[in-house]
Amino acid sequence: MRFKIAIVLLLMILSTTISTANPGGKGDAVRSRDCAGSCHGSSSTNGSSGAELAIQFQSEVYAGLLTEIETSVSFAEVSSNNMVGLTLLINSDGAKDLPANDGWEIITDPNGGTNNYVEIVDSFSIESMVSQKWTLRAPSNPGDYNLYLAIQHGSPNGGIAMTGISSMQSVTVSEVPENLPRLADNWQPVNSRLLGEETEITLETLNTDSVVVELQSGGEIINLEVVENKFTIPAAVNPGVVQWRVILDGEGPTQTSPWFRLSAVEPGWEVDETALYLQGFALLFLFAGLVLVQKSSSSSEVENKYDNSFEVNSQFGAIQEESETQTNTVRPLPAGGLPEGWTMEQWEYYGHEYQGGFQ
Amino acid sequence: MISAGTFHVIATELTVGTFALSGVAFLLCALNKGPSSREAVAHWALLGGLIATPFAIISGVNAISGEGIDNPMLANKLLLSMTSAGLAIGLLLRKMWGSTVDLRHASVGMISVALMLTTAGIGGEYSRGETLLLFIPKDTVMLFPMWASITILALGLAIFAKSAVQHRS
Repeated sequence: MRFKIAIVLLLMILSTTISTANPGGKGDAVRSRDCAGSCHGSSSTNGSSGAELAIQFQSEVYAGLLTEIETSVSFAEVSSNNMVGLTLLINSDGAKDLPANDGWEIITDPNGGTNNYVEIVDSFSIESMVSQKWTLRAPSNPGDYNLYLAIQHGSPNGGIAMTGISSMQSVTVSEVPENLPRLADNWQPVNSRLLGEETEITLETLNTDSVVVELQSGGEIINLEVVENKFTIPAAVNPGVVQWRVILDGEGPTQTSPWFRLSAVEPGWEVDETALYLQGFALLFLFAGLVLVQKSSSSSEVENKYDNSFEVNSQFGAIQEESETQTNTVRPLPAGGLPEGWTMEQWEYYGHEYQGGFQ
Repeated sequence: MISAGTFHVIATELTVGTFALSGVAFLLCALNKGPSSREAVAHWALLGGLIATPFAIISGVNAISGEGIDNPMLANKLLLSMTSAGLAIGLLLRKMWGSTVDLRHASVGMISVALMLTTAGIGGEYSRGETLLLFIPKDTVMLFPMWASITILALGLAIFAKSAVQHRS
């Protein structure tokens, strides 16, 4: 039996595969590179990704204003779930490398969030190039800045985690011209909405005389009516992303904003937390009580397999009863006293036979 | 300082480890095999897991990235861990009050351990999208109406109190 169990355990151990990656991903988050997607494996156990990584900037990037960058991944050999983790960084040191450390703000990541690490499922392969767009707010101080794109993914045979990082991509952030028509510095786009809900957006602009809003839905671009800097994006019927941008006219050169992405999502799951916690405590006390009220099974038949105390006790009782009966029926001694050679104890037990023989 | 997520991993591994040890010891108790210390190991490990459980629950709630419990898996984790903790508390009190470790007692111990390990399995699916518990309906939450929860809570407290009084007498 033990041998069979050992064989089964050995087969189970041998059937496992060694993997240092998180095949299901770890979720989008703000992450440094040293922990971007393969936290359960030492960096020394990672393989080197063969993917080519690139970042493209807009021609003009102004300090403190919104800008769009496009990241692309080519020649990535990934695992069967086609998932890749992409991280936008400011250095390749693995420390103090978040874009926020240089003053960048991620307004919209490719998944509609505001994270520097995103997990993308797409048709990554050795023959394809997959591009993603990020909307950033540039640092408020003009100057030269660097950005890197790091990648984490599995390998086709599911063996080890692969990591890689792009070469340094430099961008010059210029000072904002005085009369540049633009969106206000503190204005933020809406990134997500619920299905079936119209979205009214209010623009806040500077140095702007007129605005045109373009909505891209599918392959088509339509102009939306803007009244007092407000416009409405029609409700979405299905989950998905629509893109829109604004063209601002004023005294300065005409400006076109980045494409803003608006994700339509199904309503999230909601629960009455008070009811949930109450039910949790109710179950705790109920099951504790139910365990406490149960009685021990009848002396555990298995444990008492060799326990003969019941038989011994019953036999002992029978002997005691017999002894008491005999004591009560001790015959009186003969006139001449005990027969010759008898003891009193013998008389108590066999006296009746002696008398019977005489009779 | 460490983040709630890291602390949750520490508390969870303590909980799961001690509960798993307890489960093996309860299995030996049920089979009536193994070292004579199996009963002590089962109950002391269960106590260790029980002590670590509140830390795992609280740190887990704090580590959630969204606002509150916004996923059915989280709700199921809470209900399963509370049920498991209830069974474990009952077993420990029962043992403390002198009951014998029979087959039923050991079986309840294994059920408690199984529920806690299921909770951990659901946590794995929630955070990493992977689990071995493929056939368990983790997205379905059996949530009672408030009145039913209050009734069950009152019933549970009554049974609990009655057992305590019976033990004292």
